[in-house]
Amino acid sequence: MLYHNLKYSLKVLLKNKGLIFWTFAFPIILAIFFKLAFSDIENKEKLDIINIAVINNEEYNSDEIFKNTFAELSNKDSENYMLNITYTDLSKSKKMLDNNEITGYLLFSNNEVNIIVKNNGINETILRYIVDEIQSNKEIINNLIENEIRENNNFSIDYKTITENVKKQVLDNNIKLNNISNKNLSYTMIEFYTVIAMACLYGAMLSMYIVNMKLPNMSNVGKRISISPSNKNKIILGSLFASYILELIGISILLIFTSLILKVDYGNNLPLVFLTAIVGSLAGLSLGLFLATVIKTNENAKIGILISVTMLECFLSGMMGITMKYIIDKNIPIINKINPANMITDALYSLYYYDSLKRYSLNILSLLIFSIILIVISYITLRRQKYDSI
Amino acid sequence: MNNIIEVKNLTKQYKTLTAVDNLSFNVKEGEILGLLGPNGSGKTTTINCILSLLNYQKGTIKIFGKEMKPDSYDIKSKIGVIFQDVAVFEELTVYDNIDYFCGLYIKDKKKRKEYINDAINLVGLNEFKKFYPKQLSGGLLRRLNIACGIAHKPKLIFLDEPTVAVDPQSRNNILDNIKTLRNQGTTIVYTTHYMEEVEILCDEIIILDKGKILAKGTLDELKEYASIEEKITVEINDLKEEIIEEIKEFKNVDKISYERNILLITYKKGKNNLGELIDYLKSKKVKYNKIFSERPTLNDVFLELTGKELRD
Amino acid sequence: MTVFKTFWKIVKKYKGTIILYTVMLIAFGGINQIANENETDFVNSKPNVIIVNNDEEKGLTKNLIDYIKNNSNIIDIKNTEEARNDAIFFRDANYIIYIPNGYRNDILKGLNPEIEIKSSGDYQSSLAEMILTRYLKTQSIYNKEIKNETELINTINKTLKKKSIVEISSKLNTDEITKISRFFNFASYSIMAVILYIICLVLYSFNKDIVKKRTIISSMNYKKHNKLILFASSLFALLICILYMILSIILFKESMITTRGLIYLLNTFIFTFTALTLALLVSSLVNSKEAISGIVNVVALGSAFLCGAFIPVEFLPEQVLKISRILPAYWYINSNELLKTTEILNLSTLKPILIDYLVMIIFGIIFIIINNLVTKKKRVS
Repeated sequence: MLYHNLKYSLKVLLKNKGLIFWTFAFPIILAIFFKLAFSDIENKEKLDIINIAVINNEEYNSDEIFKNTFAELSNKDSENYMLNITYTDLSKSKKMLDNNEITGYLLFSNNEVNIIVKNNGINETILRYIVDEIQSNKEIINNLIENEIRENNNFSIDYKTITENVKKQVLDNNIKLNNISNKNLSYTMIEFYTVIAMACLYGAMLSMYIVNMKLPNMSNVGKRISISPSNKNKIILGSLFASYILELIGISILLIFTSLILKVDYGNNLPLVFLTAIVGSLAGLSLGLFLATVIKTNENAKIGILISVTMLECFLSGMMGITMKYIIDKNIPIINKINPANMITDALYSLYYYDSLKRYSLNILSLLIFSIILIVISYITLRRQKYDSI
Repeated sequence: MNNIIEVKNLTKQYKTLTAVDNLSFNVKEGEILGLLGPNGSGKTTTINCILSLLNYQKGTIKIFGKEMKPDSYDIKSKIGVIFQDVAVFEELTVYDNIDYFCGLYIKDKKKRKEYINDAINLVGLNEFKKFYPKQLSGGLLRRLNIACGIAHKPKLIFLDEPTVAVDPQSRNNILDNIKTLRNQGTTIVYTTHYMEEVEILCDEIIILDKGKILAKGTLDELKEYASIEEKITVEINDLKEEIIEEIKEFKNVDKISYERNILLITYKKGKNNLGELIDYLKSKKVKYNKIFSERPTLNDVFLELTGKELRD
Repeated sequence: MTVFKTFWKIVKKYKGTIILYTVMLIAFGGINQIANENETDFVNSKPNVIIVNNDEEKGLTKNLIDYIKNNSNIIDIKNTEEARNDAIFFRDANYIIYIPNGYRNDILKGLNPEIEIKSSGDYQSSLAEMILTRYLKTQSIYNKEIKNETELINTINKTLKKKSIVEISSKLNTDEITKISRFFNFASYSIMAVILYIICLVLYSFNKDIVKKRTIISSMNYKKHNKLILFASSLFALLICILYMILSIILFKESMITTRGLIYLLNTFIFTFTALTLALLVSSLVNSKEAISGIVNVVALGSAFLCGAFIPVEFLPEQVLKISRILPAYWYINSNELLKTTEILNLSTLKPILIDYLVMIIFGIIFIIINNLVTKKKRVS
């Protein structure tokens, strides 16, 4: 009986193009869109080579420190390569700025460095920081040289040697910084994790549809089934197996596709990633079962409820901007603690970002509790065998 | 003969509405019981109660001598139901649909295959085995609906208005199917609001209105309820008033009317009325085009009992 | 008239969808309004930093903290490592500085203590690192010369005070215009989704109706009927367009009542036209309700993601922007972006925008032509 129901539930679900599109194809399409749209964001947020112009006037040419530093910063072979500099006159620089060929130009006059930029922007900001940095270096060197001269208060000072020494001292980077950040820092991954979460929860459509088909108060077919001499629980169990199998196939395809083709990084613990998908799908399955048995309204309204609830949950777990997840986690954590989409997203995030499995386990546990609660409520509803009206 | 179904004092209320009101009746083995009544008279509710789909406030229901409960699987395995609305999977072919529902009753695959083919042959869907419900016309869809309900060869079948909105050809096919099933010894409960069907098919008839039994019995017994026994229709051109007055004085005549060249006479008792009328018209040299006599129909009975027409 | 009435009756049935997309647009516009208050002021922007001080906050340690505080935004956060790690990952903080225990004494002893940091790896974290290293370098150099703590602190602070002068040449209020552009970019999604979805659904139920009616009343005037439907669809699209225009005026007030604002509105109007023609094309290509919601979602989301309705164009990969040229939304968003940077509006500076308009209109004409071919073919078969 179980097998008979399983087989035909699979047939019914596979033939339903709408269901298959939303549970199988749509998450993949969305993931592709995410990949296309997000693949460059993080690179563009990193330091970039900036094009600038420098007004090649007398004051600039007499500024050894700026000249030397710019030479270093614009040397393509140097590890400090940051700037692409054009040395030119004022009118040309203005023109270049107008044509958006450069981020800005520098004008040295009256002992000041003027940075002229067109707009506010990332590169403009970096340029300011670079110039500030050189300024303070220059200040240090001048101070030190003054000190040297003051201390070696004789006339035999070798001006050039002192300057060289001081410069060496300044440029020698003896600052000891130890970067202890976790390695995996790509925040756009969260977007893909929310797609996995969405796919898991959209799986609810499968179980909802097929279970509704088996209930006399929800569909005509259900009436016919419930007058047959078969145990209702067995029939529903067969349907749930069928939708779970399909969900797992769908989610596996999605995981494989995103990791192999879209190069989504799930961290190193692949078995646990699959465990997340398995438990996440279970949550979807029980959500579908719950909507099918407990909510009494028509099929379309149920799908509407499912889609809007899922989308809201995905929104709160960062699908439309990861900041939303962070804001909720930080300020109203309870919302995301009971949000299954976030449990899935957060489980994948903690696998990717954290070494310890504590947070991961907590998410998996929450998903299981979420599923069990829904299943128990549905079971209690299902135990009723007769209806007041159908 | 044994009683296959025994319903005693069945009462079902929806909030304020009493859909079935203290209903009692029996269905004997091998007979076709017709449940006749207008829409909303409680036919479908009664069936759903018998099938243990609905809760009811009062009453006992026994099928095959045992009390019917949601988990009375031995009873359920002998029942087949054809619901008013088509209840099939859109995503499965004709064959798969029948196989699925039949599989809920018959576990043996070989036997099942045989049964399914029998059902397909019975309703005449042989050429459509691989069609999806969407591709079938309304009539064919109804036939599939029937095949799904009877493929497991049940001993008792409920048919809930199986002919609603069906083309005449499919309707005849369906009615033939029911006759065939009866001839095979199946007990059938048939609900409809088409009088002709009941008249053709049913051994025993129950007329329901507002959840109550208005009348029950065989066709002939019910017709006794009608105060008239014969209806004679004559087509005469330009009949004189005095002749109408004279006919009115005949014995047994209940009512007489003459409109648009049609003379309609109803009689309280029906013996030799037609002969008398023909003789009289001949003696008066009245020429008529057509003359025929009718026995009262269920509609007349219904009209008599409720004061309203059965058909909507 | 019945055609018209029926049309609006069906539209009313789907008002939930219209409200949904409109609310999304308003929410986006509203959040944009608040969230980007300081984000666009890049030149004066400071990186977000968390300081974890394991030393006593005195002397050199205090001076370091003060310096970092003055040059960055200090993020206040729950004092757990997990909260800090999350902050780095979600870019709430760009940089974490862990000041080790005994830092001050080590410096005073002339040692060079190692400082642990965490970094989000973006340009802002690089800025934070510049701030930190500049300070540490200065301190380390002077530390060799100056042994008195107070004098050391004073010298460090004096040296680091020097700032360059930044002059912004453009007179354009980029903040406001960026917001307006982002609003209209996002509106491309709402317009596309609403017009496509509603018109497809309405025409779908109409077509189903016609098939029914054809068997009943064969004397119906189809040409007139179709014209009426076309007119109703256009009116609907226009109303949606006007609705979003009014929204923009409510959100941005007087900024919209300028030449620039008018060009934004004209732009939106032309895009609505293209969306309408696409909707009519899709509705004659697709004849199942489920397929409509699938296709509409894919087309609308695809346009939005690939053309920069959700993510600013400057963050999209070059190759994607090349592909997205085949989508009308690209040209719409492109002209919004051009409007953002064009300082003086005159015929020659508007030329690229006019080209975008032309492309959108050509798209519309192509859709109309294909639509005619498709319907002709359908009628024949």
